[in-house]
Amino acid sequence: MTDASATTLETTPVADSGAAAPAARPPVVEVDHVSRWYGNVVAVNDISFALQPGVTGLLGPNGAGKSTLLHILAGLLRPSSGRVSVLGETVWRNPGVYARMGLVPEREAVYSFLTGREFVMLNANLQRLPNAAAATAAAIRTVDLEAAADRAIGTYSKGMRQRAKIAGALVHDPQILLLDEPFNGMDPRQRLHMIALLRTMAAEGRTILFSSHILEEVERLADSILVLFAGRLAASGSFREIRRLMTDRPHTFHVRSSDDRRLAGALVGETAVFGIDLSSGRLAVSSSEFGAFTRLLPRLARDAGITLFEVTPTDDSLESVFSYLVRR
Amino acid sequence: MTVFATLVEVTLRALLGRRRTLLLVLLAGLPVLVAVLARLGGSSPGGASLFEVMVRTVLPLVALVFGTSALGSELEDGTAVYILAKPNPRWQVILAKAGVAGSLTGGLVVASTLASGILAGGLSSGSLGTAVGFAVAGAVAAFAYVVLFLAASVFTNRALILGLIYTLVWEGALAGILEGTRQFSLREATISLAAALAPAGSGIQGGLDLGGAVALLAVVIAGGLVLAAWRLARWEVRGTD
Repeated sequence: MTDASATTLETTPVADSGAAAPAARPPVVEVDHVSRWYGNVVAVNDISFALQPGVTGLLGPNGAGKSTLLHILAGLLRPSSGRVSVLGETVWRNPGVYARMGLVPEREAVYSFLTGREFVMLNANLQRLPNAAAATAAAIRTVDLEAAADRAIGTYSKGMRQRAKIAGALVHDPQILLLDEPFNGMDPRQRLHMIALLRTMAAEGRTILFSSHILEEVERLADSILVLFAGRLAASGSFREIRRLMTDRPHTFHVRSSDDRRLAGALVGETAVFGIDLSSGRLAVSSSEFGAFTRLLPRLARDAGITLFEVTPTDDSLESVFSYLVRR
Repeated sequence: MTVFATLVEVTLRALLGRRRTLLLVLLAGLPVLVAVLARLGGSSPGGASLFEVMVRTVLPLVALVFGTSALGSELEDGTAVYILAKPNPRWQVILAKAGVAGSLTGGLVVASTLASGILAGGLSSGSLGTAVGFAVAGAVAAFAYVVLFLAASVFTNRALILGLIYTLVWEGALAGILEGTRQFSLREATISLAAALAPAGSGIQGGLDLGGAVALLAVVIAGGLVLAAWRLARWEVRGTD
């Protein structure tokens, strides 16, 4: 666990327009110095943020604490310290808040003996909707599950099961939607459909928070992101800013060329390069500007008459990106 | 459909849809089978001994399975989130689950007790009265056992093991050695209640007086429901990262 503080670009993510939130508008979701620990294991460590209507992505590698944080927001886990409020109300031991909140858990288990329609109807009845059948039909239509609605969920594919869960969470038209890895198991077409649906819901003024460990998913859907790593909030703010931070972080490349030594000499005077290492028998180049370096290297090689055989980034895993954000 | 009816329906379907339910029906039918075989063999099985088998073995085991799986299975696999993350007080969930599991257990016990009682002793008023006494006591005890095991499943995911320990060790072994433990034995309370309800001269004897038996059953049912509802209101999802 690192003690580095989070990179905060905006304290209040706003997803629908990308503009700054009006200062007077109270946040829909407010998380204030929340931690959660199990014995001496810290799952979520002193996290604070606020959400306004729009789509916010909760990005982080597996085990970062995303599900723990979502469960705390959903009132299914008590924070060990700190405070969470949704629409001005506390969520822990306050079932009333679920009338305005929908939750899609990550765990796959659903009542497999129910049909998709019965499962959504179960949610509608438990939400005490006056016209549960109509709301159920609308939710099933929304997630494009009509063809399989009368089949037992036990026969569903992972993607269909996921859509049934989302229909169950949408059936009461909640103001806030919390989704834990919602795109798991969906095929590309279903994924696009779901992204369009969630964007529409956000444009209508709802607050949507979804978790994912896949950067591209978050990029497509969220305007604002919260980056979680090792239980800490590594960064929060607009996706574009954080993406730039991720891209422009220091990179090390292994380069194999027709003349590594001469290429090293050509690179050494460039400002985008801050380290060159030939000691291991191959050329390792460290750069602080990803974009500039990837444009510079082929140009320099061409001008020097050197052939590039291979350029490999050595630290491109998501973990290394998150780790870098936490260290900043 | 009301919230309560919805909870009852999903619980009923969850419990009846499992293969283990068939095994429980077979278990509950064991005294009936013994009575039938005894009749076919030309002997007359003792009704009281069949009822003892029912109270000592069938009732706690059926209640254990229904009681721990009515809500415990959902808490364990995460499906409980779909009924708990709703704007309803959680005591409703406990009541619905206990009601369904208790009714199923009680139904099996009553049917088996009456059937084996009639097969063993015919329709004479004495043996039928004893069977009815055991059936009524069994029905009440079914709810007590179910509530006890249901409450345990809300507190721990090892409720099945704890229930087995209670049934086999506390009620089985210790009650025979340490007389004081009978004061806290649902089995003794059930037999004592059946003895009080059976006609005079049935020869059935429990370890508690009627007041003690009724008090124990009532305390377990009421206390178990309150404790389970209290705990469920504070329930935290298991197995997160």
